[in-house]
Amino acid sequence: MKQNGRIFALALWLVISVAQGQELPPGVMPMAGKPAPALQLNDFDGKPYNLADTAGHWRFVHFWASWCGPCRREMPSIQKMILLMEDSGIEFVLVNTAETEDEVFTFLGIVAPDLVPLMDSDGLVTEVWQPRGLPASFLVDPDGRIQYQALGGREWEQPAYLEFLRRLPATAASPAGSK
Amino acid sequence: MRTRIGTDLLLGWLLLLPALQAPAVNSPRPGPYYEDDRMLVLLVPRTPTQMAAFYEARGFPQSALDRIVQTCFITLHIENKSNEVLWVDLGQWRFTSNGKDIARLDEHYWQQQWNEINLRQASRSTFGWTQFPPLRDLQPDEPVGGNMVFPGSIDSVTIDAVLHTGPDRSGAEIRLGFGNVGCPKGVAAP
Repeated sequence: MKQNGRIFALALWLVISVAQGQELPPGVMPMAGKPAPALQLNDFDGKPYNLADTAGHWRFVHFWASWCGPCRREMPSIQKMILLMEDSGIEFVLVNTAETEDEVFTFLGIVAPDLVPLMDSDGLVTEVWQPRGLPASFLVDPDGRIQYQALGGREWEQPAYLEFLRRLPATAASPAGSK
Repeated sequence: MRTRIGTDLLLGWLLLLPALQAPAVNSPRPGPYYEDDRMLVLLVPRTPTQMAAFYEARGFPQSALDRIVQTCFITLHIENKSNEVLWVDLGQWRFTSNGKDIARLDEHYWQQQWNEINLRQASRSTFGWTQFPPLRDLQPDEPVGGNMVFPGSIDSVTIDAVLHTGPDRSGAEIRLGFGNVGCPKGVAAP
């Protein structure tokens, strides 16, 4: 009987491990679901944005700077992902860290001209979010809690990441009235 | 606690040291490095001119550049290729030059420098993100990179690096040595 219990526990552990392994693509780390810090900035065109106003959707919040090599390599992948995920219901929020409009325009104009980032001109919002480095991506659930963090630059247009992102809206505990 | 793996690696370090002092001809890496199936550790010495040009292009004022060129920048890149947490704690690393201990110019040093010249917040933020974090629990498949800065008076630095494994640092201890990593002067790239 005791042995049966051990076998059952082992099987359960295996099932959970495999399931977790399938859920998370490389470099995506689960977070404890702590409330996302405030994110209220103007975008590159001067339009105000407040993360709190977009509750009810998953948010992909990405911090970057044009001087950062991995950010430069990752940005084309981010643009492709956004195009491929247009119908996903996920809101993509790009935050430039402590650069000027000229620096952002010079870089994005060539690499990803369709993207309009938020401008964290003094870098203070980025510091409050405490990314582990740049680039950094957070996945904020419809309730405003950080559920995942991507570590360093990722190939977001690859199937493993797209499938992972597509599963998010279905698994979210969306509040009433959301999509 | 030094584990058997750590001791083995320490012995390996002694054997590897000459090979790590400088990149080999046709080396695939731009500086001294160590690589195995668990990690990549890469060091890239920078000239003062390189660093001044980098920060000048990001709008740093001359007063900041004057301080930056008086120091020695070495870019450190570490990639965790294993399936366990790899702890990088620069506070436990030993840095020596000509046999004497030297201290990194850490975030407190730079905070003081920037306060003295009243550097704008955006530049402080950019500078901070270009520095190697003093402590990092490097997750599987996670890279981390940034600069370590030393006094410009030294010609080279010998680095005794120690890394720990496991979620609470209780796993194997890994020691790596990089001898006489140069602090290049002038304008020439290393």
